[in-house]
Amino acid sequence: MNAPRIAVSGLHRGDNPQPGAGIVRSIRRLYPDAFIVGLVYDAMESGIYIDGGPDKVFTMPYPTTGAVSFLMRLDHVLEEAPVDIFIPTLDSEIELLVHLEHDLHARGLMTYLPDADMLSSRSKSMLSEFADECGVTTPRTEPVYDARGALAAAHRLGYPLMVKGQYYDAQLASNDEELTAAVTKLLTQWGAPALLQSCIRGPEFNAMGLGDGEGGVIGLCCIRKTIISDKGKGLGGMTVSDPKLENFVIKIISHLKWRGPFEVEAMKDDATGDYTLIEINPRFPAWVDFPSMFGMNLPAALVEMLVTGFRPKPMSRCAAGHFYLRHQIEVLGHINDIAELSAGSDFAVKPASLRPQPTSSHLPQSVIA
Amino acid sequence: MPASLQDLLLNDRGFAFDPAGGETFQLSATGLRVVRLLQQGCNEGAILQHLLDEYEVDEHTAERDLETFFGELEQLGWKS
Repeated sequence: MNAPRIAVSGLHRGDNPQPGAGIVRSIRRLYPDAFIVGLVYDAMESGIYIDGGPDKVFTMPYPTTGAVSFLMRLDHVLEEAPVDIFIPTLDSEIELLVHLEHDLHARGLMTYLPDADMLSSRSKSMLSEFADECGVTTPRTEPVYDARGALAAAHRLGYPLMVKGQYYDAQLASNDEELTAAVTKLLTQWGAPALLQSCIRGPEFNAMGLGDGEGGVIGLCCIRKTIISDKGKGLGGMTVSDPKLENFVIKIISHLKWRGPFEVEAMKDDATGDYTLIEINPRFPAWVDFPSMFGMNLPAALVEMLVTGFRPKPMSRCAAGHFYLRHQIEVLGHINDIAELSAGSDFAVKPASLRPQPTSSHLPQSVIA
Repeated sequence: MPASLQDLLLNDRGFAFDPAGGETFQLSATGLRVVRLLQQGCNEGAILQHLLDEYEVDEHTAERDLETFFGELEQLGWKS
């Protein structure tokens, strides 16, 4: 097989990490010579600058600017650095791309995404209806569009509450003041609606997999979050093997006939011992490279499937007892990198080529001098 | 016996891992002995007799400690 050519987005690995850098790392485990293009929204996405990162990087217009500008920029990328596969990792991108399947196909670009109906069924604002249809439980959730509506909903649901942005971010609110601040912030940041969700007491579990579009699952890895940041991010996780959790996830994916990567977030209710659905993310999670390190490489399986046209054999479930710890390090960049990426968004760069070399005693001449 | 007790992974130093829940525990030597006896299918009376035979302990103390320990196992869902 020729080295695959793949575009990946969402390369930031900071406080609130995106999945792209983990996907790149996983792909390189099986395809070290893969040609990888990073599609970024900000020159400060840290995954641009890591060793083994993307070969080229292009800035993209935000998906909210619409299909026309996104496709125009994509055409430019394909002209400069042709790729065959696109693995989007941001919810807002996927919202746009599910409507552009024909446009992407016409450009020879393969994706593996849900259709618009699947995507909409699992959206945060539809989660209660979906859970009822599917026969699983989910915390009581109400969409809110302003602070006043949020206060009314909070009095119906009762505190404490989780306040969630339409696409990302969640904050705990225990009283009216905290609620008003959180709703205002999340509406400003992510648009309407924000979601108010009753709190469940119990440990949090996540499951990552690849749906085959027919109700089946090609691979499934379940973890318990063992260390959780104040933003609810999993800084540590342990693989678990619980048939009850696996059946819970498979029931959801099968009901949706989900096509593509997914992450199901669930909590085990201390009161009942049952799993409760918190969220379904339409993409690989930020911890995607963790199971790749012990043999369940879902990004590589996705690439293999798209390149060969054959569905990989279902993978065996992850064995319990592997754990990950999120480990932050510094990556090296140079002002030239940012200048290249920021100047009119019209540069494709391989950042490493512009960095100061450790053996040199001279800094490179700045391109913005 | 609850499935989770049967599935519990133990080492000789009392480190226990629940593969379904993802939690780890540290058992004392006596606790480890009791959990292994439960895994072998012993009932409470048989476990008490094992403790009396293997440790220098009077029946009243062993019975009381065992009852407390079984309560903890029930809370964890390892014993019904």
